[in-house]
Amino acid sequence: MSQELAASAVHSTAEQHRVHVQVDLLAIPLVVLLFAAVFSFQFALLVGDWDYWIDWRDRRWWPLVTPLALTILPAVFGYFLWERLRLPLGATLTIIALTAAAWISRYLNFHLFANFPMNMVWPSAYIGLGLIVDCILLLTGSFFWTGLFGGFAFGVLLYPMNWPLLAPFQVPVEMHGTMLTVSDLMGFEYIRTAIPEYVRIIEQSTLRTFGEAVTPLTAVFAGFLNIMNFWFWTWIGYLGSKALWLRKIV
Amino acid sequence: MKRLISLTCSALVAMLSLVAAMEPAQAHGERAQMPQLRMRSVHWFDINVSTVNMQINDLIKVTGSFMPSNYWPEHVQSIEKTAFLNIGVPGPSFVRLDSRVNGVPMIRSTAFKKGELYNFEITLKARKTGRYHVHPVINVEGTGPIIGPGLWVEVGGDEAAFENSATTLLGKTINLESYGLANAAFWSGLWFVIGLAWFAYWLLKCPIVVPRFKRVNELGPAEADKIITPNDRRAGLVFLVLALSVVAGSYMYTQEKWPITTPLQTGKIEVPPIDVDLPLQVRLQDARYRIPGRSFRMELEVTNSGDSPVMVGEFAAGNLRFINSDVLKVTPKDEDDLVATDALRVEGGPIAPGETRTIVVYADDALWETQRMTTMIASPDALVAGMLFFFDANGERFPVEVGGMMIPEFV
Repeated sequence: MSQELAASAVHSTAEQHRVHVQVDLLAIPLVVLLFAAVFSFQFALLVGDWDYWIDWRDRRWWPLVTPLALTILPAVFGYFLWERLRLPLGATLTIIALTAAAWISRYLNFHLFANFPMNMVWPSAYIGLGLIVDCILLLTGSFFWTGLFGGFAFGVLLYPMNWPLLAPFQVPVEMHGTMLTVSDLMGFEYIRTAIPEYVRIIEQSTLRTFGEAVTPLTAVFAGFLNIMNFWFWTWIGYLGSKALWLRKIV
Repeated sequence: MKRLISLTCSALVAMLSLVAAMEPAQAHGERAQMPQLRMRSVHWFDINVSTVNMQINDLIKVTGSFMPSNYWPEHVQSIEKTAFLNIGVPGPSFVRLDSRVNGVPMIRSTAFKKGELYNFEITLKARKTGRYHVHPVINVEGTGPIIGPGLWVEVGGDEAAFENSATTLLGKTINLESYGLANAAFWSGLWFVIGLAWFAYWLLKCPIVVPRFKRVNELGPAEADKIITPNDRRAGLVFLVLALSVVAGSYMYTQEKWPITTPLQTGKIEVPPIDVDLPLQVRLQDARYRIPGRSFRMELEVTNSGDSPVMVGEFAAGNLRFINSDVLKVTPKDEDDLVATDALRVEGGPIAPGETRTIVVYADDALWETQRMTTMIASPDALVAGMLFFFDANGERFPVEVGGMMIPEFV
């Protein structure tokens, strides 16, 4: 009796394959949903308005704050998926989940519920950044090189990756003798009672020495900063994957 | 199990009943703001709307005046630093086409001086149907929104007919409701396709979770890379090159398509206040609020240096108006207009030209209670302020701010 209980429930290779497929069917959608929920919450806390509104996406703060916050979960889960499954999917999958959740949230919450036009609240494009990190991880098999090149690319490429989406909104317009961008104009016209103009954290910094090269400088600075940021969060992923806390409980 | 089902059903019914009984929020929390902040931040007056019934695409002007208080609380960041004239409506139910203070466009933030008078005018265009309580608002950095009196506006018509366009400095007319969305959706969609293709490449190896977990464990950390095939590496290289190419290509394409762009615009703008020459000097000698009678009593020393006798016609504090019906006839603009049309009593009569006299003003009304102003007695500095409106024999009005210590009376 006890021998029967101890025996495997799987009696053939086909059956085992079927069980493994069923695990995938259950686990993968759950993991994607988990990524979407956790990442949306974390991104809302750390980036928030910079990603919600087109008149917040400036060339100084948005490209600096965003990669630092965006790296956290791709690095943590990326480490876990690579270390445990040798799957270079952590960064891409977390960012796909974040972006999909963001589009759904912007449409339902911001557009349908709060009445903002979708062209004022579309989410930025970050999926390519995750893909680059995953590919570098796959090709190098090293978190050191992934942090160095992938973490750097995260910071450097965020702005150019989004420029095709953003550029039409930075065309100049005139309103009552004031020059604005289309983004500023929409920010003024579409009323946000709780977000006055001065609340926007844009264009404020001391880095004025290099004239027109604001965006490249910010991007390179964000890239360098993000190398260490990526390594740090990979280390957190390493600690998490050891699951010491779980072993203590069990 | 039956108990669980019945409990769940009961909870569901209770929740649905609550949802069904809910009414939409129709105010902006004016009463929630601390009385001393309402009384001593911004004095709003003459708030008006050009129409109360309108259709989608119709324009409405919200006009009025305000004076930042000289008695602005020390523990709250000052309006003299950074402020923004805003409008309190539920989201973009209107679009704001123009906003001016003393004739200066208020697209950017500004600063207002305490004790100075400002006139404002905000032009809105109806975008969503509904009934809205429209308030002027001044957002003050570090303090929050200071909400003015609200008036009800009804918007009807066809929302689908709403139009809002602008012409860029490059001469192109754009529809602000949809401009740039298709472009953003295209690039976002392209990245989704590439990202999902990468995901699909690995999903095609399904099952991937258990077998790979077991294999990695079997191989150990040093040998685990053996699980990666040459095809995987080739796919990685292809996707890496593809991603970098799309970034570079789309950037160059964009530079070609939109060669002229400008950074987001921000900054502060100065607004000169209105010069007002008042023939009056008013000093608050004593202020008491008697809680049981909802009665606010002020003893004032008034000097009239003008050439006509003056009388107090109105006292306004914290967006509440108390009217002396002997001097002024006021009809509430709607059911929520916070005006007590016969609640101001003045002892002391008109102040003759050249005369200095002490008068006593009583503002007695339940509005103090219903608008939650009675908690002014809980102020950390026990100071109050308000606007007195004097009128001369010709009906000319002189707004004067008074303020000072207030003593509550509990019996």
